Amino acid sequence: MNPDNLKYHKEHTWVKVSGGKGTIGITDYAQDALGDIVYIDLPEIDMDVKTNSEVGEIESTKATSSIISPVSGRVVEVNEDLSESPEIINEDPYGKGWIAVLEMDDISELDDLMDASEYTKYIEEEIK
Amino acid sequence: MKLTIIGSGPGGYVAAIKAAQLGAQVTVIEESEVGGTCLNKGCIPTKALVASSEMLDKARKLQEFGIELEGKIFPNFAKITERKNKIINTQVKGIRGLFKSWGITLKEGRGVLLSPEEIEVTSRDGSKEKIKSDRVIIATGSRPSQIPAFPFDGKRIISSDEALDLTDIPKSLLIVGAGVIGCEFACIYKELGSDVTIVEMLPRAVATEDIEISELLERELKKKKIKLYTNVKVEKADIKDDGVHALLPDGKEVIAEKALVSIGRAFNSDGIGLEEIGINKGRRGEIIVNENMGTNVRGIYAVGDVIGGLLLAHVASKEGIIAAKNVVGGNEKIDYSVVPAAIFTSPEIASVGLREHQAAEKGIKIKTGHFQFRALGKAHVMGEITGIIKIVSDEITDRILGVHIIGPHASDIIHEASLAIRNGLKVKDISETIHAHPTLSEGLMEAAEDVYGEAIHVPKR
Repeated sequence: MNPDNLKYHKEHTWVKVSGGKGTIGITDYAQDALGDIVYIDLPEIDMDVKTNSEVGEIESTKATSSIISPVSGRVVEVNEDLSESPEIINEDPYGKGWIAVLEMDDISELDDLMDASEYTKYIEEEIK
Repeated sequence: MKLTIIGSGPGGYVAAIKAAQLGAQVTVIEESEVGGTCLNKGCIPTKALVASSEMLDKARKLQEFGIELEGKIFPNFAKITERKNKIINTQVKGIRGLFKSWGITLKEGRGVLLSPEEIEVTSRDGSKEKIKSDRVIIATGSRPSQIPAFPFDGKRIISSDEALDLTDIPKSLLIVGAGVIGCEFACIYKELGSDVTIVEMLPRAVATEDIEISELLERELKKKKIKLYTNVKVEKADIKDDGVHALLPDGKEVIAEKALVSIGRAFNSDGIGLEEIGINKGRRGEIIVNENMGTNVRGIYAVGDVIGGLLLAHVASKEGIIAAKNVVGGNEKIDYSVVPAAIFTSPEIASVGLREHQAAEKGIKIKTGHFQFRALGKAHVMGEITGIIKIVSDEITDRILGVHIIGPHASDIIHEASLAIRNGLKVKDISETIHAHPTLSEGLMEAAEDVYGEAIHVPKR
């Protein structure tokens, strides 16, 4: 299930906000569609990221895909564990599989994102 | 027809055999060992090291393939070097044998032109001999270039020549120049256990390739934990007790046990009498030739690295064949329009024809097709899924203009593309040709299909 405390982007990424900082990752639907993840190209600390633009790249046994940031901001932390064990994303996309933490530019960007029930509907549409 | 050839690399020895086949009486002068840079200091020894490092990589993945191993896997560098040298020796003997069978005389020593008809050979023991001939082909090759900040000392600061003959695997290796040679050695020594850092002045690794190929290689280097600094020039280097200290412009210092300088090649055109008999040379010392491989001096031809241009063994050989045919009265011209090139990094790179940005610079309206190896069953079977095949084609005529591959066996797959481009074939000629399954070559067919968004193993966009 997609957790209720997250906001979702149509490119299948999520953000969890706490105190002006947003933790981002890819959704369970995305990890399932990608299959076994073999490598992730993480963003660099201090990199400025814009919403709807690439924050990193992910490689699975099936495809390589851009990770599209759900929000704008400066990268303040990245999940280094993923460089050694990218499969963590497959196992726990909403928890240990987080990708980066951004110092968000504009909290109001969250209004453009979907909540869990909207996202669930959105992927049901996409599957059709 | 008496022909003398100075140099027996892939330009000189191939010219010698071809000319002998055509009835010329051929003498070859070689200062070092037959086979030249390619066989002794280049293509072949590096590939021998690549083969050992790839074997090591495979051995480390045995469990992935369901094979258990009891005990440790580690490289025995002395044995690796021994194997490499054995391969070289076999090939050297092979060329010597071919010379013998075609009645080619090999003179071991340094050849200097005294006149267009006369060459003096000084052998290693100092004895001199003069050889008269009707025609001469100069195939003296090239050597590693130096930069003033990094003079070679052969121990700490080395060229590719020494990098092939190290006695131990360096703990750390700084490579100056992320071209073909730099990137190949980076992959070799990283696999063998060195901590590798590459510094490149240009904005990207293997800068002569298509941009997408560079990007993918850079990511693979990053995956291997090879550090790559692009757009960075090494300011200076100091040799200290603990190794080479290289200073980067931002004040950062890279310390490495050894530094390999691989910034290009210099031409072997000095001290062989060219000035004395008035042979024209270019700004960088390369011998200037026409499309028949002739120099400005009648009867003297030049082929291979020493004429500049594409410094590739197979180009040298082609030039050698053209020169040999012209020596015996032919009128053959060289055609550089379709030259495949391979880089033996991990994964391999191969390309032929126009890069996407070159096509754009020429104002050609193009289409591109891409295919990822990871969508091929065979790539998964082999456990080598990284890489892409990219086709650049003419939007109007559908002709294939360029093919760029990074991935397993790229250097073997490229030749279908070379043949297609050389014969003006269209994208549909490849996409409509049945390719055997399961093979990596299916990827070229799918890339061709992708030019029209019709690849079978690519999801709907």
